[in-house]
Amino acid sequence: MTRPGATPTGPPLGEPVEVAGDKTWDLVRADLARHGTALVYAELGDLQPDLPAAHELRAVLGRDWSRYLDLAHPSVRDRYAASRVLLKRAGAAVLRADPDTLELGYGPTGRPYLRGCDQVDISLSHTDDLLLVGLTTRGLIGVDAERADRPMYGRGLGRHVCTPYELVSLAALPEQDRNPSLVRLWTLKEAYSKAIGQGMQFSFTEFGFGPDGKPVRVHRPDGSPGTGEEWAFRTFLLDNGYRISAAVYDAGFGELDDAELTSMLDRDTVEAITDALGTGD
Amino acid sequence: MPGLDSLDGFLRLVRTELDLELTDQDAETELAALPGWDSMNLLRLVTLLESGSGRRLPVPTVLAARNLREIYAVLEEAA
Repeated sequence: MTRPGATPTGPPLGEPVEVAGDKTWDLVRADLARHGTALVYAELGDLQPDLPAAHELRAVLGRDWSRYLDLAHPSVRDRYAASRVLLKRAGAAVLRADPDTLELGYGPTGRPYLRGCDQVDISLSHTDDLLLVGLTTRGLIGVDAERADRPMYGRGLGRHVCTPYELVSLAALPEQDRNPSLVRLWTLKEAYSKAIGQGMQFSFTEFGFGPDGKPVRVHRPDGSPGTGEEWAFRTFLLDNGYRISAAVYDAGFGELDDAELTSMLDRDTVEAITDALGTGD
Repeated sequence: MPGLDSLDGFLRLVRTELDLELTDQDAETELAALPGWDSMNLLRLVTLLESGSGRRLPVPTVLAARNLREIYAVLEEAA
């Protein structure tokens, strides 16, 4: 659930869905069908009792198993496993596939994708105990999460994070609003840079966002509009104190009635493989 | 900045200022595999080092670093 007073404006992205019970994945599928985008989150402590046992984890992690073994710190290893399990469960829910059959691939900046399933783009964020997954059939997605009260303002970070316009706008806010506003900007910037596959290599001072309470758009450093209607942004304040943001690029694919894995296979290819295997009727 | 004349001192600063539980071996650990590490910590560290040393650090080079030893090498290079 999001707190009352969280940003009311913005594109029609559904409310983030908390992983809680069997209805979770129905809600995620409904969001994807309605908005083309879904956000799902879980707290690590809530997810861990439901994680596969050690002997099953290898099958679920697939190619990520070796990376999992390379992680020396138990807390990092646990979070890595939980985040990949959540990603695969979310992907499997919208593709109506078995999580064990999905493989994650990673782009040059570490951006994850579902191998062979490019009809659904995915993004992952984790901070403290929160895991957040974004899925879209519209084009590209980036998500980010951060504790809303994480100290940022006044620590010299603004120079590395904000445009001149944003620095002036933040300074004009009442003191108690400056830090949460900077955290909001940070998550929006992280989400956008993840969506375009850049990570922090894309200087955060070269693009900005306007204040809360208005439709969110990318701004140039001087505050003038940057991107157009093809980009949609949304930010939420969760009850558990986390600020989460999503950036979605609409590539113009239009509505996708069915993201199910089997319905997305090319029919000619399936027939050719079936013939080659001699398994056709 | 006092203590930044050695890798050990640099690790002490990271532990103290970023409140991270790190071993000496973690100087070689991939940043993403450090407990508690994230991108905001990286920028926080850059800010601390810049204010402590009085020098601007080449942020793109710091962002390209794979571990704390490589970040320390950037700091030494900038000295």
